[in-house]
Amino acid sequence: MGSMFRSEEVVLVQLFLPTAAAYACVSQLGELGLVEFRDLNESVSAFQRRFTVDIRRCEELEKTFTFLEEQVRRAGLALPPPEGRLPAPPPRDLLRIQEETERLAQELRDVQGNHQALRTQLHQLQLHSAVLQQNHGPPPAAAHTDGPSSERTPLLPPRQGPHQDLRVNFVAGAVEPRKAAALERLLWRACRGFLIASFREADRQLEDPLTGEPVTWMTFLISYWGEQIGQKIRKITDCFHCYIFPFLEEEAARHGTLQQLQQQSQELQEVLRETEGFLSQVLGQVQQLLPRGLVQVHKMKAVYLALNQCSVSSTHKCLVAEAWCATQDLPALQQALRESSSEAGVSAVAHRISSRDMPPTLIRTNRFTASFQSIVDAYGVGCYQEVNPAPYTIITFPFLFAVMFGDVGHGLLMFLFALAMVLAENRPAVRTAQNEIWQTFFGGRYLLLLMGLFSIYTGFIYNECFSRATTIFPSGWSVAAMANQSGWSDAFLSHHPLLTLDPNVTGVFLGPYPFGIDPLVPSLFCVPGTGDSQHLPGWACHHHQVWSLATNHLSFLNSFKMKMSVILGVTHMAFGVLLGVFNHVHFRQGHRLLLETMPELIFLLGLFGYLVFLVIYKWLCVTVTHAASAPSILIHFINMFLFSSSPTNQPLYSGQEVVQHALVVLALAMVPVLLLGTPLYLLHRWQRSRHSPRPAVGQQDNNEDKARCVDSSDAYEKGWSSDEEKARCPGGEEEAEFVASEVLMHQAIHTIEFCLGCISNTASYLRLWALSLAHAQLSEVLWAMVMRVGLRMCGEVGVVSVVLVLVFAAFAVMTVAILLVMEGLSAFLHALRLHWVEFQNKFYAGTGYKLSPFTFAIQDE
Amino acid sequence: MLESAELYFNVDHGYLEGLVRGCKASLLTQQDYINLVQCETLEDLKIHLQTTDYGNFLANQTNPLTVSKIDTEMRKKLCGEFDYFRNHSLEPLSTFFTYMTCSYMIDNVILLMNGALQKKSVKEILAKCHPLGRFTEMEAVNIAETTSDLFNAVLVETPLAPFFQDCMSENTLDELNIELLRNKLYKSYLEAFYKFCKNHGDVTAEIMCPILEFEADRRAFIITLNSFGTELSKEDRETLYPTCGKLHPEGLRLLAQVEDFDQMKRVADHYGVYKPLFEAVGGNGGKTLEDVFYEHEVQMNVLAFNRQFHYGVFYAYVKLKEQEMRNVVWIAECISQRHRTKINSYIPIL
Repeated sequence: MGSMFRSEEVVLVQLFLPTAAAYACVSQLGELGLVEFRDLNESVSAFQRRFTVDIRRCEELEKTFTFLEEQVRRAGLALPPPEGRLPAPPPRDLLRIQEETERLAQELRDVQGNHQALRTQLHQLQLHSAVLQQNHGPPPAAAHTDGPSSERTPLLPPRQGPHQDLRVNFVAGAVEPRKAAALERLLWRACRGFLIASFREADRQLEDPLTGEPVTWMTFLISYWGEQIGQKIRKITDCFHCYIFPFLEEEAARHGTLQQLQQQSQELQEVLRETEGFLSQVLGQVQQLLPRGLVQVHKMKAVYLALNQCSVSSTHKCLVAEAWCATQDLPALQQALRESSSEAGVSAVAHRISSRDMPPTLIRTNRFTASFQSIVDAYGVGCYQEVNPAPYTIITFPFLFAVMFGDVGHGLLMFLFALAMVLAENRPAVRTAQNEIWQTFFGGRYLLLLMGLFSIYTGFIYNECFSRATTIFPSGWSVAAMANQSGWSDAFLSHHPLLTLDPNVTGVFLGPYPFGIDPLVPSLFCVPGTGDSQHLPGWACHHHQVWSLATNHLSFLNSFKMKMSVILGVTHMAFGVLLGVFNHVHFRQGHRLLLETMPELIFLLGLFGYLVFLVIYKWLCVTVTHAASAPSILIHFINMFLFSSSPTNQPLYSGQEVVQHALVVLALAMVPVLLLGTPLYLLHRWQRSRHSPRPAVGQQDNNEDKARCVDSSDAYEKGWSSDEEKARCPGGEEEAEFVASEVLMHQAIHTIEFCLGCISNTASYLRLWALSLAHAQLSEVLWAMVMRVGLRMCGEVGVVSVVLVLVFAAFAVMTVAILLVMEGLSAFLHALRLHWVEFQNKFYAGTGYKLSPFTFAIQDE
Repeated sequence: MLESAELYFNVDHGYLEGLVRGCKASLLTQQDYINLVQCETLEDLKIHLQTTDYGNFLANQTNPLTVSKIDTEMRKKLCGEFDYFRNHSLEPLSTFFTYMTCSYMIDNVILLMNGALQKKSVKEILAKCHPLGRFTEMEAVNIAETTSDLFNAVLVETPLAPFFQDCMSENTLDELNIELLRNKLYKSYLEAFYKFCKNHGDVTAEIMCPILEFEADRRAFIITLNSFGTELSKEDRETLYPTCGKLHPEGLRLLAQVEDFDQMKRVADHYGVYKPLFEAVGGNGGKTLEDVFYEHEVQMNVLAFNRQFHYGVFYAYVKLKEQEMRNVVWIAECISQRHRTKINSYIPIL
């Protein structure tokens, strides 16, 4: 947890990797995931780098693997996940793997080609027999003797003469169904009248040998006269890729062919089965080899890509890499380098070098803190060693959420849902679920858990459970006492639907409710129906029923929640300003402590902290006996700024005006300090160092780094662009050119932002009130419009109970869909905004970048 | 639809227009060309193309890589995109697409007929056919002996049928007749396409008409240039000129009379558009007339993307992509033949 407060120390290390051991070293580093390599060859284009040839070989191999994978998938087989740890193979193994896969791929291609050829052959045989089986119209022989149709017989010239020797020829074949119509038309147009074509659908579907899809082929039989037409027909059928089969005229001969065909196809099927057996054998081998090979080659490629980022030393004996590494991991890094290079009989070295660039941010998280850190990172990754808001977010985020979502019942549902996920988190099925929405929920399970827990707490404070109040303790109010004291008669009750409970009457208000809001809050409530004296004791027993009927409970809650929002907001923001102190202390910027944090704090607390004080003071010190003449905080606060006072508004305490005047003057006096303090101080420091430059630099060799770091983070804090930052502290020999106007400009922006922000951000926290009000009212409406309607039904018990089940189902679905999911999301968003904008802008720059170590974790998955 | 294309255009064609603009943005940039020109081998070229929108389109090609493989794969990719556009189009855009394919169909038919004349196998020719102009009956072209045969039997159902009205004849199909047929077909095709665009009105007409006018005039110039020293009579030549261009009618009549390049240039000088083009011929870099025309075409097509709500973008995209393919093939040829001196004379797409 300690490492959560700020990011870890990260240093730039230079690695000298002897050429012989470079591969092993980088591969080992990939397994460990310790360092982030910096690209030292940015100017070199991709294909001119040193290891491009090896990468290309890996890609070739990947291509082969893709082919194999495709084949396995097409065969409907699953690839088992790779087992055990698979380190990147040594480079010399690449050749072996390559040969092995090539051989396998070649074998697979051969077998598949064979298989394909056999299937095509079989397909053709089947088509042929299908064509022969078709009985096309009148038997062709009969057509020849009787003519195409008997009606035309008189029109035809007598069969003697030159036409007699003209024999009718036949073309039989099969064509794809979608082409059949076009073929028929083309045939007709091309050889008008010289042929008779009959098209028929085949009896059964045949599998396409290429795609495996079942297709019903169209068979056709064309009878024609004349050789020229025959040639034409053949050309046309060729162009439509039809299968043409010899068609014997005698029925018996056709029958014989058919039998022969069937026998052939049976034999072929036998062969096909054996081929398939062999194919599955080869595929089995592929299944064994592929998962391992894939991981290995991916790792190998990653290693070469990393090596491509290294530069070659002048002696060509070793590769030089630069990498970011956490200080804590340095021993592990040294160890890993030693181990992996000792095999080759050389030694790889790593040593720290100083760097001018801002190091990357590394914050280690566990499964609990990860979701909270990701909330912060989504806004912006923190600068190096900046105060990290995440640990505070762990509590404040669920709390602010719960303030908006306060309901025991809803919180409990959310808590149970999150608890179920937390308990099931180690199950592989839950872990590997691919559903994106599920992954989102699952990733934030601990966040949800805390959110649910806090919602239960605030639900008890608001005393709401599915919008109903709970009566754990007896209420502090007594209606009976009031009734007895004022002598409410039946007649009185029947004429006054609204009755008032006066806490000044003894016995009516017994004391504050021990925890949360009194279920019988009102001093003014409605009587249900007409006054009936029998009901009177009933109210006293069932306070909670009356509570919801009170007409002023909303105005009471509004006042309470509004004040609570302001108190929470001011506290949250003041905490944010205070966190800035840790930044200033860490970066040794004492001047900012004095010239920024202090004025900011005085401004915030002097104005809005005082408001909080007034609220709490009034809660504690103004009692019910003075209710009629209670001072208005709003008027007081306005008067405070106007330096005036209103005679009707009583002061809260003596000397109030003096204190208020002092506070306003003090707060306003802080504005110029905030505006000019830092720029003037920096100007002064710069001028001093210019007058006596040498000793200052010479003395603090060691401190220089830190000072530079200070200045740079200073710049980042204010959101300066890096150019300006460089302009201010280029580091090294020469002192920065100090541009006073720019510093002043940025400080002015910061000042205006902060001062206006104090007002607008405080107002922004009122969303806590608004959202919690909306949630409470929505759940109340749901209860009143759905559940209460169901509960009030009269009629036969059986019918009512059945209807009640349906009503409850509707209530449950709407509770989950609207109140839990929709309202939950909206409260989540608002809590997110309060953290990102109102809280984090007080101290958090978030302009860093994450350390993304070179790791095989992705390949291992 | 007529007066407010802007209002309704997106309902039917907005998606496709968005797509085509996205595709246009993925055309190779100047930087890409500079990188391609620097490549040493075709493998390098492939690696470079991988970083562009072409992606892994050569991944499944077995070694060794050849220029024709690259060409085929690029054509396939364009064809895939075009088919996607076409399958998702509504009228009248789909008719527009049909018109676009017609020119490729004409080329394919002529190619097949020439092949049949030279007794080459259909398969061999088919491989050379442009995939955009494929149609089912295409392979049956070689059964025809005369143009009316061709029309009646094979092409009557294809979109090419209307263009045949002007060129029906009983002449046997020899080489010259085929060439005449091609030009006549092209002439009626261009005129029909021009008429379609003109009738459509709106921005489409404003964009497409100049492009088609230029296309027509280019054909007229090229026909003239190719007919020098052939047996084609001047009257026949005039019948081949498409009449929808800027040259019509005066320019075409003058063009029919010219006998050499200089005379042709003198005719072109009367036209503000073509004068600078002819002046650029043979200038620095030794550009041919064809190059100059291509450059002008590219320019017009690029400008087509400056207007919205019209069909011209589809036409322009396909033409630009074709030019890009020609460029890549040119570069690839130069690389594979080690002919680096001319590698830079591709047509840059601005």
